[in-house]
Formats: sequence, C-alpha cells, structure tokens
Amino acid sequence: MTQINNNEILKPMVKAKKSKYNSYDIEKIKMETTRPSRLYENVISESSTPIIKAENFSFFYGSKAGVKDISMEIYPQMVTAIIGPSGCGKSTFLRSMNRINDLIPNIRVEGKLYVNNQDIYAKQIHLVNLRQQVGMVFQKPNPFPKSIFDNIAYGPRLQGIRKRSTLQQMVEESLQLAALWDEVKDDLKKSALALSGGQQQRLCIARALSTKPNVLLMDEPCSALDPIATSKIEDLIDTLKNDYTIVIVTHNMQQAARVSERTAFFCLGELIEYDTTSNIFSNPGKKQTEDYVTGKFG
Amino acid sequence: MKADLRIIIDKLFTSLTGLAIASMIIALFVILGPMLYRGFGAIVFRGTVEFRKMQIAEFHHGNAEKVKQEAEKTQKVRQVVYDMIHRFRNGIDIEELENRVKDIHRNYGNELQQKDISREQYKELRDFSKEIRDKLIDTFSSDNIEKIKENIDFVLQYEMDERFVETVAIEYFTIARDFLKSSAKIDFEKRDFYAAELEELEDIILRLLGPAPDADTPMLAQKRYGATRLDQTNILFHQLFWKEKWVEQENSVALIKIENSRPEQFAGTELEPLFGYIKDNIKQMLNPKLTFYWRYFFDDSTPGHYFGGIGPEIFGTLLLTLLSMIFVIPFGVISAAYLTECTKEGPVVRIIRMCINTLAGVPSIVFGLFGMAFFVLFFIPIFGGPSQPCILAGSLTLAVLTLPVMIRASEEAIKTVPQTYKEASLALGASKFLTFVKVTLPAALPGILTGIILSLSRVAGETAPILFTAGIAIGPIPKSIFQTTRTLSYGSWDMAVSDKLAAEVPHNQFGMVVTLVLLILCLNAMAIILRARVFKKLKGH
Repeated sequence: MTQINNNEILKPMVKAKKSKYNSYDIEKIKMETTRPSRLYENVISESSTPIIKAENFSFFYGSKAGVKDISMEIYPQMVTAIIGPSGCGKSTFLRSMNRINDLIPNIRVEGKLYVNNQDIYAKQIHLVNLRQQVGMVFQKPNPFPKSIFDNIAYGPRLQGIRKRSTLQQMVEESLQLAALWDEVKDDLKKSALALSGGQQQRLCIARALSTKPNVLLMDEPCSALDPIATSKIEDLIDTLKNDYTIVIVTHNMQQAARVSERTAFFCLGELIEYDTTSNIFSNPGKKQTEDYVTGKFG
Repeated sequence: MKADLRIIIDKLFTSLTGLAIASMIIALFVILGPMLYRGFGAIVFRGTVEFRKMQIAEFHHGNAEKVKQEAEKTQKVRQVVYDMIHRFRNGIDIEELENRVKDIHRNYGNELQQKDISREQYKELRDFSKEIRDKLIDTFSSDNIEKIKENIDFVLQYEMDERFVETVAIEYFTIARDFLKSSAKIDFEKRDFYAAELEELEDIILRLLGPAPDADTPMLAQKRYGATRLDQTNILFHQLFWKEKWVEQENSVALIKIENSRPEQFAGTELEPLFGYIKDNIKQMLNPKLTFYWRYFFDDSTPGHYFGGIGPEIFGTLLLTLLSMIFVIPFGVISAAYLTECTKEGPVVRIIRMCINTLAGVPSIVFGLFGMAFFVLFFIPIFGGPSQPCILAGSLTLAVLTLPVMIRASEEAIKTVPQTYKEASLALGASKFLTFVKVTLPAALPGILTGIILSLSRVAGETAPILFTAGIAIGPIPKSIFQTTRTLSYGSWDMAVSDKLAAEVPHNQFGMVVTLVLLILCLNAMAIILRARVFKKLKGH
C-alpha cells in the first residue's frame, strides 16, 4: 500500500546522467536508458488514490480539438470503461494516456494529464518508461510478423533481458496471464500471424503484459472479434483487473456494463458523465447519457 | 443487348491481355532462343586436336601425353599438305630459291674452310660452286622452258661429282630437280600471281591446321593454333575454296564482291589435288571430339578473347556488383528511412524526392563521366588511393547510379508496413530507432529485396558507368580493389565494337552475352527465392 513517488519515473534517467554523461545530452540518454524503472511491480495502491488523473485536459489535432477540457480520475485495480458515439474523442483520450498519439504530426495539448502523479506531457518525461508502465492493446490484433515467442519477448528484450531462460519464463508467465499458454505452448516458434483473430488479440494482451505495466489501455479490443473470442477476452479482463488498472474504450455498451466498475460517457470531445457503471446504466445523471445508453441516439 | 455487349467487351479484353502475354513470351523465345543456342556453343562443341593442344599449352589443362600422341597421329596426315606446298613453292618462289642457293654457296664455303685443303684447291671449289650457283639463279629467272631444261641438265651432270658428295652443296641438285619438275607444269607468266596466291593459301591453312611443325612459334596467341572447333572449318573451307575479291563497278561507287574458285586458279599445277585432299582428310587432320568445355566459366583468355574462357569477366562482374550492393543497400535504406520516418512532408522533402527521381532518369554515361571526375580524380585520391580507374571507383559509381532505384523501392516498402506494427512497438516502450530496426525493417524486407533485385540487374549489366571508372578489355586479374577489372558487360561491348579478332570467334561473343544474361538471372533467382522465404516467414504460413 505504498504511495508512489512521482519522481521515480525519472530516476533511471538521472542515474545514467550522473554515471555516464557529464553533459546534459538528454537525447543521448534517452537512447541509452531503455531499461525502465520496475518500481511498480506488485504495487497496490489505495483505491481512493487515482492512478490516472486528467485536469482540464484538451487534445488538438492541429486546430481541431479531439477532446476538450476533460477532468477525471481513474482508480487502480479497476476496469474503467469509456463509451460514447464515434468521433467523440474516447480513443483520443485513451491514446493520450501513453502518448502514442505523438506519432501524429501537429498535435498540441492543454491542461494536465497525470499518470502516477507524474505529468506525462511534462518536458522531462521519459516516453520509454511511461509506455512500459502504461501498456496498450489496439483495436485490431497487431502481432508482429514474428514467432509467438519473439512477439512476447519483444518487450523484455527492449529492457535488456537477453538470458534465454529468463525470457522463456517471462513469455510463459505472460501467456498464462493472457490465458493463451495452453493453446500455444507447443508451437511458440510458429508465426503469430498463423493464430486466429481471438488468439492474436490475446497474444497482444500477453505482449502488453510482458513489460509488467500497471495500467493497461484497451482500445476497442473486441471490435474485430466474434462473440466467442470476445467473451474469452472479457473473461480475461475480469481476471486481470485484480492486478492491473484497465481502461477500456468500447462501442459495445453491454460489454462496458459487463466488464467495468466505472464508466465514462464522452460525447463530441467532452466528458458528459463519469460514475460507477451501475449508476450510468441504471440511473444516469444526465439526459444525454440516458439517451445514449438506452439507444435513443448514437 | 447491353449485357451482351458487355460480355463481348469483357471477353475481348481477356483475350487481348492473353495475346499480349503470349506475344511477349514468343518475343522472348525469338530473341533469347538463338542467343542461348549460340551461347551454349561456347561450352559444348566439337573440339579439335588444336583445341586440346591450346588447352595444354595456354592453360595446362588435359593429358599432355595423350594429346602429344594425337598430334603425332594427325601430323602424319597433315604432312602431305605441307609437302605439297613446299614443292609448289620451290617451283615458283624465285627470290626464295635464289636465297636458298646463295645460302648453300655460303655454307659450302664455310664448310671448305673447316677442311684441311690448300688455298688453290679452296679457290677452285669455290669458283665451281659459284658457277653452279649462277647457273641456277639464271635458270630461276628464265621464262624459256628449253633453256631451263638445258641449264638443269648441265647442273645435274655434276650430281655424282666427288667434289660435292657429302657436302652441303648436294642440296643444289635437290632444288634443281624440284624446280625442273614443277616448271614442267607451270605457266611462267603466272609465277608472280601464284606467289601471291600461295601466301594467301598458306595463311588459310595456318588458320586451319596451325603452324607447320618445323615453323617458329608465332608471337600472337591466335596464330599459334589452327581451328580449335570443327564449326570454324566451315568458314575456313569457304575461304579456302573461294577467293573473295572486291571490284569497282563502272558507274557506281559501291564495290561488289566477286568470289573466284581457288582450285580453278591452281588448276593444272601441283597444288590442284591439295584442295580435295584437305576436304577429304580434315577429320583425320583435326580429330574432332565432342567437348564439354565447362572450364569456360573459369579460364582466363588470350588477348581478344580468341581462345580460353571468361573466368576473369565473371569474377569482375560479381565483384563489382556485390561491392556496389554493399555501398548502395545501407545508403538506400537509410535515405528511405529518413524520408519516410524522420521528416514531415514539406518543400525540402519534395525537393529531395524530385532530385532522386531526376537522378533515376539520368543516362548511365553521365554517371560514368561523373564517376571519373568525382571518384577517380577527386574522392579516392583524398584518402590516399590511386587516382586511376579501379574496382572501388567503379562500384561506387554503380552504387550512385542505382541509388534512386534503391531509395524508391525501400521507401515504398517502408511505407507499406502497417502503422499498427509501429504503434505496437512504441507502446511496448521501444524508441523510434529500435522500432525501425526491429519491426519496420524486417517487415519491409520483401520490398527492400525487390529494390535490391532491380538494382542488382541494373548494376550487373551496365557498361557505360564503368567505361572510365573500372573496366578494361584486356588485362590481368585484379588483386585488390584498387585495380581495374574485366567485366562481362564491358567485354561484350569491347568485342562488339573494337576487337576485329572477335569477329572470328562469335561463339565467345555469344557465350559472354549469354553468361551475363544467365548470371543476372541467377542473382535474381537467388534474391527472389530469398524474398519468397522472407515473405513466407512474415506471413507465417
């Protein structure tokens, strides 16, 4: 039940600076220190302390706002669902949480977004460390065109783990967490692309888990899957929430109702309502939310 | 009605495309078929004893003992030809005969000096020899057959003379008798004509059978052996039987070719049976055997590619190609990575791209001149290298030539890698660089390999860029990358334009071109197989 020190993210970077470099060559250090801080392993925070916190957060694509003025808190060891009609900015918000949106040119943010009390849009933030703590699963299963083993081992290898036995162990652990181990344990050398869609998505989850993140972002993870594969993923989310903070964006309201504890409803880039899932679906506070969850629009 | 028309147009379209493909394949066969056939003639042919002699003397291949026996066997048949020519020459070549008679007189004098005889005796013998000599010289230049007979009879009466027995002077009589024999059959008016004709004939026989066994080894390699391949005899036979002559026409500038029968020219002389003899006994004289000359791909050649193989050319081509690939692949991929991953679309990138596209359209000779001006004269000397054409300069020029192709192909390949791969990698905490190296590059590999295939084919076949930077037609095998090299493309070009000798060995020309085509095909096949395997691995089937 330790409170996380917000300076910890920066710690390895500072260390490296002292030991290896006299100059303040930040870029160089960034390249060198791909090894993340692993301080967050098995850290269980109090549920009252938010792990992600947005304060008047806005995200712009050029001049067009993706999300506007979002303020919300996401709590650890819990599944938080973000629902809303298409183009409402829910994916944009999710993707800001590990700054994967940075790939898009001409973006701009306003306000603050804290992960572990660290402002992730601050200048000195180390993206590699951030992303290793905030894992992500994408809409379409996107395994690398490599073997199953290499897919999972990709993250650990980036952290500098080279020992075969350690990697083997980590791959097994991750696959077991993603409930895929029993299906693929005999052909880890097979290409990941030979798996079925549902298996591929679980592989992606396993891959995201391999870096031992404490937050797992899921961007409509089941939209490309059939109902059976979807239910498997949902079961998986259910087990994972004991150890991870999960933020899931979904179009499917039943899914949000099934898997999440808390739900945020976005519309036109704004946060309309954020409450416990049962409240949102059975007793929404706003008319707009009610219309959406009852299927009157959207 | 409309539906019917649509079906007809559909079928027409299908059949047209099919026709296009079919005509392309036919064209390919029409172009490549004869070329391949003639090119294979450089490797599989009916090799003669001259070929085996050449192989032993020039390249030390084969069983020397066996070939020697073979040569002796064929020599017996050939001797008849040489004897015939020898006798005929004795009848017509006055200058030669005079020289020989003078030689005999001189040698006789030398011989007498060795002997233990008195001064008067010596003088007497010398004078007598001189008398016979002058008589013979007088005979040779005479046109009157009666006078010749008289003179020869006069000389021959001394044949058994004790003064000449067992001395060199005995040769006088051999010459005299031969001359009498041949002059009986010869038209004296035609003597000079015969002398010139004989020279030509001897040249053809030299090319057919090689130098006579008692002759000196010629300086030029191509004159050392006769027809090494049986198919060459066809051309030589034509030359042997038909004398080519270009005559001026009355009212036109163009010359026309007239072919006169050579046996007819020699009709009635001692040489007449020669033609029939050669034709009937050519197999015994040359002893052709079906030869599979696989060493063609490894052997060096005599100047002008007259004999031997194309080993150094293949080696040089491979060396240049691979070296330029070593330069072009990293540069191409890194440039493509810069253009796709590290910059935003903007005026600068657009200008760079335009430059690359323009570069792709520049004629290769311009690259050749650039290579000479930049790499040979400026760049390599900066680093202390020699300021002369060399393999390094050539491969750098070729690399520059093919860089646009490589960049474009790599760029396209990198662009086709799904964004989701990059996102997944970045989301796992990889830096941009690691994402590129570990995810984007492997996924783009099939496309990059396509670029390599295109570059490879272009580089291996280019001639103009290496004209001034690396290529030579005749020269040693390079020992370092700071020396010039022979290449297949340069060799083909050289044989086609500047080497007159090459016209006599078309099989070598075809062999070189076909080897170049096959070499490129092999390199491509290798790259295509590699690409297929990479692709398969990526797709996971």
